[in-house]
Amino acid sequence: MPPVFKDSCISCFKCVEICPGDVLRESDGKPEVAYTDECWHCGACMMDCPAAAIRLNLPLWMRPVAKRLK
Amino acid sequence: MTKRIKTDVLVIGGGLSGCMAAINAREHGARVAIMEKSHTERSGAAGTGNDHFWFYDPEIHGPRGWTIPDMVRDISTDGEYGKTKGGLMDQGLLEIVAAGTKEAVDRLESWGVQFRYDKIYPWNLQYTAPKGERRYRIVPQFQSEWDTLNYDGRDIKKRLTEQCLKRGVDIHNRVAATGLLTVDGRVVGATGVHMRTGEFHVFKAKAVIIATGMDQWRLFKPGSGHWFNSQSPPYITGDGEAMAVRAGAEVFILQAGKTQHHGFQYWRNICRSSPAATTCYPAGRLVNAEREVMIRHPAVREPMRKYRQNVEDSVAEGKTPFYLDWTDAAEEEVEYALWAYGNEGLCWALQEIMKDLGIDFRTHMIELELEEPGRTTGGFLAPFIDTDCKTSLEGLFACSPVQFAGEVAAPTYTVLGWRSGEKAAEYVKDRPEPILDEAQVESEMKRVTQPIDAEEDHTWQEVNLELNQVMEEYKKYVAGFNPPGKKDAVSVTGLQNTLEMLRRLKEAKMKACDPHELVRCNEVMNLIDVGIMMVEAAFEPDQYRRGVWFLGKLEDGQVVFRTEPIKVKYPPREAA
Repeated sequence: MPPVFKDSCISCFKCVEICPGDVLRESDGKPEVAYTDECWHCGACMMDCPAAAIRLNLPLWMRPVAKRLK
Repeated sequence: MTKRIKTDVLVIGGGLSGCMAAINAREHGARVAIMEKSHTERSGAAGTGNDHFWFYDPEIHGPRGWTIPDMVRDISTDGEYGKTKGGLMDQGLLEIVAAGTKEAVDRLESWGVQFRYDKIYPWNLQYTAPKGERRYRIVPQFQSEWDTLNYDGRDIKKRLTEQCLKRGVDIHNRVAATGLLTVDGRVVGATGVHMRTGEFHVFKAKAVIIATGMDQWRLFKPGSGHWFNSQSPPYITGDGEAMAVRAGAEVFILQAGKTQHHGFQYWRNICRSSPAATTCYPAGRLVNAEREVMIRHPAVREPMRKYRQNVEDSVAEGKTPFYLDWTDAAEEEVEYALWAYGNEGLCWALQEIMKDLGIDFRTHMIELELEEPGRTTGGFLAPFIDTDCKTSLEGLFACSPVQFAGEVAAPTYTVLGWRSGEKAAEYVKDRPEPILDEAQVESEMKRVTQPIDAEEDHTWQEVNLELNQVMEEYKKYVAGFNPPGKKDAVSVTGLQNTLEMLRRLKEAKMKACDPHELVRCNEVMNLIDVGIMMVEAAFEPDQYRRGVWFLGKLEDGQVVFRTEPIKVKYPPREAA
């Protein structure tokens, strides 16, 4: 589900500071997704992470459907 | 616990328009505070970027034979796009917007947003700039003139936040506005609640600007099937509109309608920048299952009717689904479109997600969600402002949401935000500090924080779902059950039932487990108030007349409606 934090997270909490949906919180010295269902998957956290430690994991039902041509 | 803040101008909502308003109110000497539910660096519809900005530059468009009235006429009545707007657009506001865009671009540029480049491409408008000056990357959009800038707008909100802080704007992030404070019909401040600490905030202000954004998301069942799978922020929940209604300000109301044609609003499953947006230019085209081109790109301005006919024919011939197809584009076109796309809204994140999923525009077509004709679209409500951004209430201004000023969203809110800041600052000059009605503050606090004190009760999600269901019923009763072209009428009994259910829902008690949930509960309370106003208005026959704006307000607890003739400053050319 929504943001996945890698081990390279430096616990700066920029993501918690700016999350537009207020879905992230600090927990045990690391960011965590506190309100999973309310994530907009806007990617602001991933964009602003200075350690490139965040990826967005879309729920299955929200993934684009693509057809490979080449 | 309560926090008290004193200021001259309070801006509610620190998105694109709110930040512009705050900066300009400071420029005009007022003390300014922003109450922002999210965080100004990434909040609002422009939070993660904007890549296309409609503008009028007299030095570029003038020699091409375009004037500001031409631009206004094109976007509100004459052009392919204007024709779809039903004559509801406010040309007075549009004119201000058009005239203010070049200045807005210059201003944003001086704050570090890049708009001009050494290199422009063959698919950009070719023009000569004064020697030594870099050029804009101008592309065509839905309008008849090449009038839209592609630019590096991904961090626009960061630049605006820097400018706010530099000027000493008092920013209160994570504080969700809950109500306006009034004394003798004059707006003198607002209340809010901190989404993390739960602290109640009381802002005393000589003027208030509503800048909470143009949406009432989560009022209607979302087309994507999920509240948080949306194109605009799902956190824009009609807060400003509801506050304006409760305080007695006049609002513009538009009822739900029925679509006449097939439409594409988003990709299958994921509600992101729509396939018809400028953001695929010049690489994208829309094709059917046999890869026959429905429209090369809307920006190429093929007639809408031809595009619609192509889609209708493909549906009739079973050549569905439809796709967004970049696969025939040249590499340079793909790179350009990826750059532009990456600066728009949610689309940088989307590109990153696509990498993880192994999807590449160069090799893959993206399936689109086809919407049936006859689908009912939601109604809409917004504070009604004059050309000075004033609402009908003393001391209350608005810049977003407002009545239809255009679908050129970013330029509209940038310019109207700027204007509202100036007008509010002028209004507060030499005005004495207001005295708050403490009984009102007290009762507002009780109303707002009730869900946190409640015993175990309904969750906000439960009430929101029921609200969606009731509003789905309203859509049928107001737009009728028959498909387009068949006769139908508003169902008075249906609307009465809907209204009764909404009033009951308003009494439903919600339980919040923490301050974050408390804000979600308040959003739902706001949406219910917006819904009630919309349905109350739906009974009025004047609602459906052409050539008027339909306005409503609360007066001594009763709804009062009136119409305002639409001022047509620039009639369509054929008629002129």
